[in-house]
Amino acid sequence: MRQNNMLAMILAGGRGTRLEALTKKIAKPAVYYGGKYRIIDFPLSNCANSNINVVGVLTQYESVLLNSYAAAGSRWGLDARDSGVYVLPPREKDGAAFDVYRGTADAISQNIDFIDSHSPDYVLILSGDHIYKMDYSKMLSYHRQSDADATIAVLPVPMKEASRFGIMNTDEEGRIVEFEEKPKHPKSNLASMGIYIFDWKQLRKMLVADMDDPQSNHDFGKDIIPKMLEEGKRLFAYQFKGYWKDVGTIDSLWEANMDLLNKNNELDLNDSTWKIYTEDMATVPQYIGKDATVENSYINQGCIVNGNVKNSVLFTSVRVAKDACIEDAVLMPNVVVGEGAVIHRAIIAQGVKIDPGAVVGDPNSEHIELISKRVR
Amino acid sequence: MCNAFGIVNFEGLNVQIKGLTDYRPAGAISFLGRYRLIDFPISNLSNSGVNHIQVHIKNKPRSLIEHLGTGRHYNINSKRGKLHILPARSDVESDFYNHDIACYMYNMHAIEQVNYPYVILVPSHMIYRMDYADLLEKHVESGADITMVYQSVDNAKEAYMECDVLNLNKQKGVLGIEKNRGNYKSRNISLETYVLAKDLFIDLVCKAANTSSLYWFRDIINDQCSELDIRAVAHRGFFACINDFKSYFEANMSLLDIDKAMDLFDDEWLMYTRTNDSCPTQYYPASSVNNSFVSNGCTIEGSVENCVIGRGCTVKKGSVVKNCVISPGVTIGEDVHIENVVVDKNARIVRKKELIGEAGNPLYVKRDDRI
Repeated sequence: MRQNNMLAMILAGGRGTRLEALTKKIAKPAVYYGGKYRIIDFPLSNCANSNINVVGVLTQYESVLLNSYAAAGSRWGLDARDSGVYVLPPREKDGAAFDVYRGTADAISQNIDFIDSHSPDYVLILSGDHIYKMDYSKMLSYHRQSDADATIAVLPVPMKEASRFGIMNTDEEGRIVEFEEKPKHPKSNLASMGIYIFDWKQLRKMLVADMDDPQSNHDFGKDIIPKMLEEGKRLFAYQFKGYWKDVGTIDSLWEANMDLLNKNNELDLNDSTWKIYTEDMATVPQYIGKDATVENSYINQGCIVNGNVKNSVLFTSVRVAKDACIEDAVLMPNVVVGEGAVIHRAIIAQGVKIDPGAVVGDPNSEHIELISKRVR
Repeated sequence: MCNAFGIVNFEGLNVQIKGLTDYRPAGAISFLGRYRLIDFPISNLSNSGVNHIQVHIKNKPRSLIEHLGTGRHYNINSKRGKLHILPARSDVESDFYNHDIACYMYNMHAIEQVNYPYVILVPSHMIYRMDYADLLEKHVESGADITMVYQSVDNAKEAYMECDVLNLNKQKGVLGIEKNRGNYKSRNISLETYVLAKDLFIDLVCKAANTSSLYWFRDIINDQCSELDIRAVAHRGFFACINDFKSYFEANMSLLDIDKAMDLFDDEWLMYTRTNDSCPTQYYPASSVNNSFVSNGCTIEGSVENCVIGRGCTVKKGSVVKNCVISPGVTIGEDVHIENVVVDKNARIVRKKELIGEAGNPLYVKRDDRI
């Protein structure tokens, strides 16, 4: 806790319904991305790299895998003294009715005791399902410099898409004067990234009041932020530059994976000064066979490729048999592709078998096909 | 759980790997891109349920100590288990006196303290997969004093020079140990792996120290062949002894035969190593890769054939890399053509456009070299 007196809380309870079968048994933050990672590796690694030592992970939907995954703090180097990853699903408490997290703000409210026990000056609220690299310590410096009560990270988006986001209207100093959720006629293009730094004492007061407000949705975007603006608090927008993606759908998850094939992609996972940490796999290096062709692809350790792979992302220990053709596809861990099978524009879920000769996906399809069951 | 502790021994003076051992002990030599040689004996011990593993090391221990760390990545129990690094004396007059016996004597207190009745002694420069729990069971059942492991080979005229060879009787009793001088085709190569009671081990170490100040552990075993009941167990499957530059190159290359590789690497018997947290490997549109093992964190734009590529290597546009063993962190520049070369860690081959070794006699590029 010492380092900057900021504690991070990662909201990781969401299901991500539009990811269909991928989130049937696991929560969205645990979904695979980028050849070897899970989405939650990004906020966790960002915390570790930003010198944040105490991280709470708020889980709810299908949390068994996510709980055990996130709890192994050593993966991110978050296991030293005074540091740790705390997995916080809803729990029964003395004197209160046992309830699920009713909203993003309620998830924090129900863990006020946890945050108090670390007595931080600042609390950083993060979302567990965004892909980006960000130095939160810079955001904290900005927060301190502007003497803000809360700082919200914002991303400039194209004006024509601004009406899909929560938009922050700021004055010339960067102070937020107005917040509009999905405005029809946006006045600015600064979209909220769902990353907040709060002064803990102030946020605590707001949360205690919010808990018993029957009108409230207990949500940061809908309730807490508007309330703070109403009360004339100092809210500042912190502009983020770089790659940021919220992968809500199968198409956007596929796209985010394809972004990595771009030689100068902004995410740059090969940056040794800002590594993204994940589970360690004890597999052999990848083997590219005698008759294989591999072109413009992103391939992880343990893969054995004897077929043809083009414009694709292959996760850990994928097997591609002879004469199989894989193009514009994302193959999650342990997928087995039989001899002569053809795959186009698809995401193949973990461990799925594609039998020899099978044809999956369509090179001309508008949408990406998700395959979550064996294809014969 | 296995009722024995493990000792990983350092290599004998017969092991000289051109260039590579100038910087590090044999155990720390990079292998198949992402491993170091010592990963194999330690993974075997760990997978066999051996909880207490001692690693004895002598010269230039830095890279090995860094790689081993706490041993957590070897799946050794963090409370009940232990990876114990035991350095040899640093003030020995000559390397001839710096043998395993001297190291065991120097660290005798640490050996005596271990609370297991048996010891499994394994070398750091040999690669094979073996369940030592089975071996220990065989040893105990047989009632032998010492059980050793060997592999029958039929290329001892060209390979395994100066390695230990076991002379066996029909009942697999060990009659003696000699050095392979390349006189016979078929020989039983010793895997320098011994199972014996801890008390007997300590006895033999002391006896060796009293007999000659040049004795290695294998010498005292050889002396004792007629006194003790020493038996040998055959190992079958992939086996590589890395005792010189050629065998290092060939061992890497032989695993490009994927069936051989699958014989060594088993899904139920993982070979562990230290993670580097590197991202997956990126193949660009112009790349062409065949019959190669490629580690994570590489960017490949050139052409790679019959190679082992270490972590975090860059192969630039227009380059051709053929029959090479490339250690981690190496850069092969644009339009560079290299063939039959072993490139050591972090070297950069940029300006020199052609570097071609002979098929049976690969070239060596030193660590951190700029070419």
